[in-house]
Amino acid sequence: MATTLKPVNAVVVGFGWAGAILAKELTEAGLQVVALERGPHQDTYPDGAYPNTLDELTYNSRGKLFQDLSKSTVTIRHGIDGTALPYRQLSAFLPGNGVGGAGLHWSGVHFRIMPEELRLRSHYEERYGKGFIPEGMTIQDYGVSYEELEPHFDFAEKVFGTSGSAYKVKGQVVGDGNPFAPDRSDNFPLPALKDVHSAHLFRKAAEEVGMHPYAMPAANASGPWTNPYGVQMGPCNFCGFCSGYACYMYSKASPNLNILPALKQSELFELRVNSNVLRVNLDSDGKRATGVTYVDAQGREIVQPADLVIVSAFQFHNVHLMLLSGIGKPYDPRTGEGVVGKNFAYQNMATIKAFFDRDVHTNPFIGTGGGGVAVDDFNSDNFDHGPLGFVGGSPFWVNQAGSKPIRGLTLPPGAPSWGSGWKQAAKDAYTHTLSMDAHGSNMSYRDNYLDLDPTYKDAYGQPLLRMTFDWKENEYKMTRYVTEQMRKIAEAMNPKTIAVHVKNFGDHFNTRAYQTTHLLGGAIMGSDPKTSAVNRYLQSWDVHNVFVIGASAFPQGTGYNPTGLVAALAYWSAKAIREQYLKNPGPLVQA
Amino acid sequence: MKLTPYLFGLSALFALGAAAAETADPELLKKGEYLARAGDCVACHTAKGGQPFAGGLPMETPIGTLFSTNITPDRKTGIGDYSFEDFDLAVRHGIAKQGYTLYPAMPYPSYARVTEPDMRALYAYFMQGVAPIEQANKDSAIPWPLSMRLPLTFWRWVFAPEVKDFAPAKDQDPVLARGAYLVDGLGHCGACHTPRGIGMQEKALSAGEGADFLAGSAPLEGWIAKSLRGDQRTGIGSWSEAELVQFLRTGRTNRTAVFGGMSEVVVHSMQYMSDADLTAIARYLKSLPAANPGDQAYAYDEKVSKALYHGDDSKTGAALYVDNCAACHRTDGQGYARVFPALAGNPVVNGDDATSLIHIVLKGDTMPATHQAPSTFTMPPFSWRLNDQQVADVVNFIRTSWGNQAPAVSAEQVAHLRAELDVPPLGQIPDPHALVAPQH
Amino acid sequence: MPDDKAFNGRRDFLRKTLAVIPAITVAGYGVATTVASQAAPTLQNPYRPRFFTAAEWAFVNAAVARLIPSDANGPGAVEAGVPEFIDRQLETAYGHGNLWYMQAPFSADAAPEFGHQLKLVPRDIYRIGIAALDRWCQSQHGKVFAELEPAGQDDLLRQLEGGHLDLQDLPSTLLFSQLWQNTREGFFADPIHGGNRGLVGWKLVGFPGARADFMDWVDRNEKYPFPPVSISGERG
Repeated sequence: MATTLKPVNAVVVGFGWAGAILAKELTEAGLQVVALERGPHQDTYPDGAYPNTLDELTYNSRGKLFQDLSKSTVTIRHGIDGTALPYRQLSAFLPGNGVGGAGLHWSGVHFRIMPEELRLRSHYEERYGKGFIPEGMTIQDYGVSYEELEPHFDFAEKVFGTSGSAYKVKGQVVGDGNPFAPDRSDNFPLPALKDVHSAHLFRKAAEEVGMHPYAMPAANASGPWTNPYGVQMGPCNFCGFCSGYACYMYSKASPNLNILPALKQSELFELRVNSNVLRVNLDSDGKRATGVTYVDAQGREIVQPADLVIVSAFQFHNVHLMLLSGIGKPYDPRTGEGVVGKNFAYQNMATIKAFFDRDVHTNPFIGTGGGGVAVDDFNSDNFDHGPLGFVGGSPFWVNQAGSKPIRGLTLPPGAPSWGSGWKQAAKDAYTHTLSMDAHGSNMSYRDNYLDLDPTYKDAYGQPLLRMTFDWKENEYKMTRYVTEQMRKIAEAMNPKTIAVHVKNFGDHFNTRAYQTTHLLGGAIMGSDPKTSAVNRYLQSWDVHNVFVIGASAFPQGTGYNPTGLVAALAYWSAKAIREQYLKNPGPLVQA
Repeated sequence: MKLTPYLFGLSALFALGAAAAETADPELLKKGEYLARAGDCVACHTAKGGQPFAGGLPMETPIGTLFSTNITPDRKTGIGDYSFEDFDLAVRHGIAKQGYTLYPAMPYPSYARVTEPDMRALYAYFMQGVAPIEQANKDSAIPWPLSMRLPLTFWRWVFAPEVKDFAPAKDQDPVLARGAYLVDGLGHCGACHTPRGIGMQEKALSAGEGADFLAGSAPLEGWIAKSLRGDQRTGIGSWSEAELVQFLRTGRTNRTAVFGGMSEVVVHSMQYMSDADLTAIARYLKSLPAANPGDQAYAYDEKVSKALYHGDDSKTGAALYVDNCAACHRTDGQGYARVFPALAGNPVVNGDDATSLIHIVLKGDTMPATHQAPSTFTMPPFSWRLNDQQVADVVNFIRTSWGNQAPAVSAEQVAHLRAELDVPPLGQIPDPHALVAPQH
Repeated sequence: MPDDKAFNGRRDFLRKTLAVIPAITVAGYGVATTVASQAAPTLQNPYRPRFFTAAEWAFVNAAVARLIPSDANGPGAVEAGVPEFIDRQLETAYGHGNLWYMQAPFSADAAPEFGHQLKLVPRDIYRIGIAALDRWCQSQHGKVFAELEPAGQDDLLRQLEGGHLDLQDLPSTLLFSQLWQNTREGFFADPIHGGNRGLVGWKLVGFPGARADFMDWVDRNEKYPFPPVSISGERG
């Protein structure tokens, strides 16, 4: 028998970036907020304590800060007729767990988005004609514009203490940033991080081949920073323990470092950990949420009534929770009807490793998660797709984030895979190798989607989420084309040899190799309740007091990393709640 | 969420509104609450995890355990039946209502100069602004004859000053006068920062009583309360008034961070002081001349940072510094502004007695959250990673690099302090989770 | 509100200062000090395996000595303590498969893209795999793996790696990949986990370990000069 607690104004499900931002905004608005986090308490100290945290095996190989798959995972299949199998071991993607979510262990790459990607379908149809977008590709417009989001991108950068080099501020060219980037209302809070030697080599080579290198925007502070909440960050010392770790230098932005200390000063806020939400409860006609039911650390079922429910867990948990709660119509790929689970997308990576002689010291252990040098010449729609026949693109970069020898040691092609020869190759290669990525977009398709698995259950007896996903013709074409462009940069560096890792036509989605953790869509935003699960304010079309915040709202993939857009959308949604919804609770957009 | 002390104060006011409304002058209560913060009464009169002001904080002493008393207005167990005169006698004179002398753990020698109007505000606050808590005082566990109060009375006669309302000297700058009033009086800064004489009395109770005033304490419980005088190397001569204000309000400046016992003073007391009062405190402290007549300004020396930049860690202690300290405090000893304190030119580092420095190396510390600077930063303990000789070597490296000049410490000194502190044992890698209080 | 732990200092300070007074006033009274606890127990040497049987231990020692041999480039996996590392890992949640989703149904014939779909956890892979391989060796050579000449061991490892041995009880590639993954981990993980003794793995490739400060070295095309350091503070 569940225990029912006293009602609160708002309950926040999942305490990562989106949850922390919403909790902060809503307490500022005077609401009493309870945040429910299924994982444990985590903070820079003790979870990132020096020197204990500098432990590749514990944090990276064994995934101490990652999702505990033994309790809950997803199942995966390549097509709608296949049988999905569980994602049993962490490999292709690494969602977070505990306070801070993936925002505690992320790298720190902090992009905005290219304005045309917010209206991708309209943009492609206008530039390349209606027939350009292939059959079955279900890309859509977001229903929100870059101009509307810009103040929120700007504020989020100030909260995150983001380092970077602007190109255009208020229409004026101000610096050597990305010339393809849209206009900004302000500079980056902090100047760009220094180039590590590998990034320097990439910058030089990219210029030589006529591309336009720029410093990647990084939520790894290049100097001391005090954010708008009065919270402080230390400067990044390039220790390289970013992705997979809590930053002991207090220099990588995290919900724990950048927002939680300010929230702790408010008596309106309560954070409950080890609280796994099972479902959002709806009233009898299913039009209004009454709160949530969760299981606490002792296994008790608790009902937390609330006037407002913020669903702000990781992308696929948001979708899972909507399906389990019956919020919105589940998507059916055969009819194309329904919205929840629709447009599940990902990212499409290719990598080139360059191996140098002993006089080039790339020292790959020196690094920062978000820093590096990138080019956008083949990202987004910065190049003419007309003759190429594919949608999407990719930034290229050297994002040397600290390669350690267990997971980050790569050897040149032909090196022995073990034995004395391996040992010699490892000795020769490690400090003289660099890696560059084509961090490509992945479009959404009619038959790449999410629903509930018919067979496998989580530790709470609920069906796992099922991913139906595979690469499509467009994705092979895109990644193979852009990788050839990136090869020009690699070759201009004059390495001894290079190794190109790119998908072949027909390669299936491989769950064993890390791709990225940038899973997207499934509860997408849009202007039409027939084709989107949430409206332009990330409010459920069906249950008006439920807002679903996160990358689950992206209608398709982008070349950039998603966290910057997630944060901007969170602030955008919070503004709508504060300025419109609280005054007049109800749908903010009429269906 | 736990309520912050500030909020607790407010909610206590609301809670009491009905019962005590007939006499409560809200302005007077507010003033009393403010003065209680200036006096940091809550620090000693609250047990760990207990109700504010209900007493019961155990004080382990060599002769037994003392407990602070309940000063809530509970009639049965607190001070609810105290008249103003009773209250005044205890706070300013050190004499309990029952007539015996208080242990001078109660800093009545400092409180002796609090003005009567302020005493009345404090009285009003403790009678009407604090929630009454029924919690019986615990008897001290001190055996006879050590429990005799008579020697305390002698002590009080000899060392406690005359109780007299503070009055500024003729033509004294009013800001300085206010600073003196707060520092010498309610702030009782000298209780920690002034050296003590043979009878454990503070050697000076105000600026006029000589260069011992706030000249820094001898080591006790493993800490030095540093000199607050104008010495450049070891005092606060290199600090600006604005830095002092920032430090007292937020526990941090560009170059330093609060640690040890002062953290509590910042969190419970100083962060609540008004701009004007913090400025007054800072100005008064800055008016204290250097204690050492040969005091010279610190000058940075880049020799060590250049060597480390070029990979030369041959100086004794340098390799240990690179392996343990440099990540945060940098090879140039400058730290990182507002986050990791500078070691170069730091008065704590340059003090003759390195106790606080050794203590922090062994045990680490956490910079506390304050309302205006809510971030907490933790330096981990190194007791488990460095043996006594290694601690001595790295401390000596720090005390002789980048222009720092301070006498050497020995491994024996480190061993002595290590034995006194509760720190993770050498050679056993601790789980940092076990070193922090559990969160709920 | 910050926890109380941080605030013991000043109270202790005041109470100690002031509580000394009666002692001095009344009589001189000695202050007892307590001695902090002793240093860590020393490393057990030689290591006695907790998971592996004697036969398994012999296999693991022999196999990792071929995967990362001791040679002109320095110590190998055995010298680095890799067998101990693996044995200890198998006693952790990882070894028991408790970090993985292990609900049925399992699928022996899943395409490789779907990753591990067998019921076997690392402990099973070693236990079943070593027994199966030694059985195969016995039947072919009349000796277990550990008794073969190094060249013969190398040949068998190559067959395992290539999936050319039919071990019946599990795919040979599974045993190989488990062993090779754990061998690299043990060679390159921090010594707190039992391997990488003397930081030999890090010294081989030039990884500075738990150093984590490169502010002075970010943009320099130079060999990094300081040796590796471990979490415990050992310098390589």
